[in-house]
Amino acid sequence: MFEKLMNIDRRIIFVLVALVVIIPTLIPIRLPTRVAEPTQKLYNYIDELPPGSTIIMAFDYGPSSLAEPEPMAKAVLQHCFTKGVRVIGITLYANMPTLAHKLMQKIGAENGAVYGEDYTFLGYRPGALQVILGMGNNIAAVFETDYHGTATTEIPMMENIKNYDQIDLLLDLAAGSSTEWWIIYANSRYNLNIAAGVTGVIIAQMYPFLQTGQLIGFMPGYLGATEYEKLLNAPGDGTIGLNTASFIHLLIIGLVALGNIAFFIHRRREE
Amino acid sequence: MKRQVPLALCFLFGIAMILTQFSPHSYSQGVYREVINWSLIINPFALILAVATLIQTHITRIQRRTEHWQYSLVVFVGMAVMVLIGIPFGPRNSYFEWLYNNLQVPMDATMFSLLAFFIASAAYRAFRARTFEATLLLITALIVMMGNVPVGDLIWNSVLSWIPMEDGASKVRQWILDIPNLASRRGIILGVSLGVISQSIRIILGIERSYLGGGGD
Repeated sequence: MFEKLMNIDRRIIFVLVALVVIIPTLIPIRLPTRVAEPTQKLYNYIDELPPGSTIIMAFDYGPSSLAEPEPMAKAVLQHCFTKGVRVIGITLYANMPTLAHKLMQKIGAENGAVYGEDYTFLGYRPGALQVILGMGNNIAAVFETDYHGTATTEIPMMENIKNYDQIDLLLDLAAGSSTEWWIIYANSRYNLNIAAGVTGVIIAQMYPFLQTGQLIGFMPGYLGATEYEKLLNAPGDGTIGLNTASFIHLLIIGLVALGNIAFFIHRRREE
Repeated sequence: MKRQVPLALCFLFGIAMILTQFSPHSYSQGVYREVINWSLIINPFALILAVATLIQTHITRIQRRTEHWQYSLVVFVGMAVMVLIGIPFGPRNSYFEWLYNNLQVPMDATMFSLLAFFIASAAYRAFRARTFEATLLLITALIVMMGNVPVGDLIWNSVLSWIPMEDGASKVRQWILDIPNLASRRGIILGVSLGVISQSIRIILGIERSYLGGGGD
């Protein structure tokens, strides 16, 4: 019996995973969340920026991983627009401009932000490291035009922005190594303040930078998005995603425990 | 000449860029800015090279009729459609956006979503406490997983209420990330950085030449 349990048909596990994803998505439950320090630090930093400040939001993820960073982007954009903080959107990922532009336009419209005055999207340029370093010299030299084709120097909100010296924060929404690039090349060389919102798999990599102060703060996966939404008192996609993630985590923990129980009993019997 | 010229250029630019990091002189910073501008121009050519390599790889697959060669045709059809619409009409073209939003995004998301199923299945089959190290890894992973979601604290507070620590799952998870994880990550970062420095010196001095490929002199 235990041998059977150890070699359970994988399709049963697949069905369980599907159920555990679908049911909490359809029946949302609000689980209590506690705001952790990294998210609180990021929120406080943006909250204390005076109106008219400018941040860069780097959409460094692709369609495959948008489930986690997108709720973070929505929450931070909403926060910035209600505070009067201007946002410059860019991406280091070739397959991201359309999604990032659409998202900025959607949240901008919901919050009465005007394109070109409150936010702009500069799009994508190839060569991540060169783009990061080049923007430290002259943003308009790297992004000559925005996503609409307007010359960057003619965008009203870019009038007094030449390089990182006029930027108060860079928020990197990442599904890969891009946060480390921004820290190494933009923070170390140009003293640009960096914050991040990262997918679950790279949370552990962020802690050394948080401890040294190279990261102002960061949002860890769905949990970070939910915490930010809680601080804004506006539950959204992050909260829904965290519900699903909670149950899938429980399922995997249960499966691992069950697999190990079966394994130990089977081994003891064999001995 | 095929090797000497790239080696000389690598040495020249490598040394020049190192020196610009230590000199705030306007001439030095001018050189730095100029080289960055050059590299920004060079990068799109790397994209062209990448596309050329992709085409070459898939043509070879089709010619040799390797396993699943039919998928290479799909690559060409997909690429041709996006290029034919994207290049003349731009990324804001309604057809281009429709294809991106309704084909690329769902397909990308689907591929990544499949991971959840395979991870669950693999965790059940392979994550076994066979040795002391595996047990340690297993326990740590389970605690971090529990602490990553609010339901972990709910379970801790109700099932492990006899332990005098509220919200223990997230607190223990935070300790694991703040102390052992941070220490080991920092060690890895230092090790990798030292490796990068030594490899860079080898490349600049022409000791490491593998990046030049296998061409003759």
